[in-house]
Amino acid sequence: MGMLIIIDQSPYGTWAGREALDMAFALAAFDQPVSLLFSGAGVNWLRKAQNTADIEQKSLEKNLAAAPIFGIEAILADRTACQRYNLDSEAMIDGVQLTNANADLLAQYSQTAFAG
Amino acid sequence: MNRLHTLHILNKTPDHPRFSECLGTLGPDDAVALTENGVLGLVASKAFSSVQTYALEGDLNARGLSDDNLGAAAPIDYSELVNLTLQAERVISW
Amino acid sequence: MTHSTPDTENPSFTLVITGAPYSSQAPQTALGFARATVAAGHTIDRIFLYGDGVHLASALVTAPSDETHWPKQWAAFLEEHEVPGVACIASALRRGLVDSDEQKRYQLNANNLLTPFAIAGLGEWVEGSIKSTRTIYFHAGA
Repeated sequence: MGMLIIIDQSPYGTWAGREALDMAFALAAFDQPVSLLFSGAGVNWLRKAQNTADIEQKSLEKNLAAAPIFGIEAILADRTACQRYNLDSEAMIDGVQLTNANADLLAQYSQTAFAG
Repeated sequence: MNRLHTLHILNKTPDHPRFSECLGTLGPDDAVALTENGVLGLVASKAFSSVQTYALEGDLNARGLSDDNLGAAAPIDYSELVNLTLQAERVISW
Repeated sequence: MTHSTPDTENPSFTLVITGAPYSSQAPQTALGFARATVAAGHTIDRIFLYGDGVHLASALVTAPSDETHWPKQWAAFLEEHEVPGVACIASALRRGLVDSDEQKRYQLNANNLLTPFAIAGLGEWVEGSIKSTRTIYFHAGA
């Protein structure tokens, strides 16, 4: 079971996704099972080669790379949203599982949360 | 009421991306509770004719929606919303 | 942290507010829900303010006299029902909400945390999500 944290907001333009990632890290730090689902515009978190030097923000790609190390069980991405944002497996960071954000997926988790 | 698998609390207008994301994840034993601007979905979406739907009375009233706009949805107050969150096996706030 | 099975006979709630007062309806809806929860005899384990929701705990919010003062309404509710209200420390510091401890730590020239709110880490949210029968989120709408 465990918790599914959903990130459906694009990276950098708002802080909601960053704060969602912090929620996932906090659960993992307390040994609670947690997975991340990127849906909608949130799938843009998963694009390779994010260079944030000019906007002076920490790279979310790097933050996300730490997720498996901290114990986040799975990084999921909604297949339809990836297609919409022209994000194929070549362009995507490693370790992402494509899925369909539907009732069957949500039913696998005891709790679901957005950061905002 | 039959088994209530997931209660979806939806407070977004039909123009918000999360409104359609929510509709895309509704299962057969799910219910929707419309709150805040989510109640505008009753006049702008046909989705709620085929799913168990509740709408917060205060939010309906504030937006000038009446019984004529409810369709198959049931008006509820906060105490009924609290009960629904306990009847459901899980709750998702969109 | 202990694992426990949610109790549906004596249900308890954690309410998470992520929308700010006056830019979203989230704190209002959450307060309506909270009042109905205690009226039904259920327990509220804690209120957790996250992201923009931390603005609800600012002692400097000044509403026009003919508008409801949501931080004060919430503070009165928390005191009356002895419900802990916690603002996430990372969200709070980023948004300029500090208590006297954080004021000293960061050598700031003021503090502005409204009584009885406290500042603490996400662990409070994790504990609530495990312990409470239901954790309900109140996000900004649109």
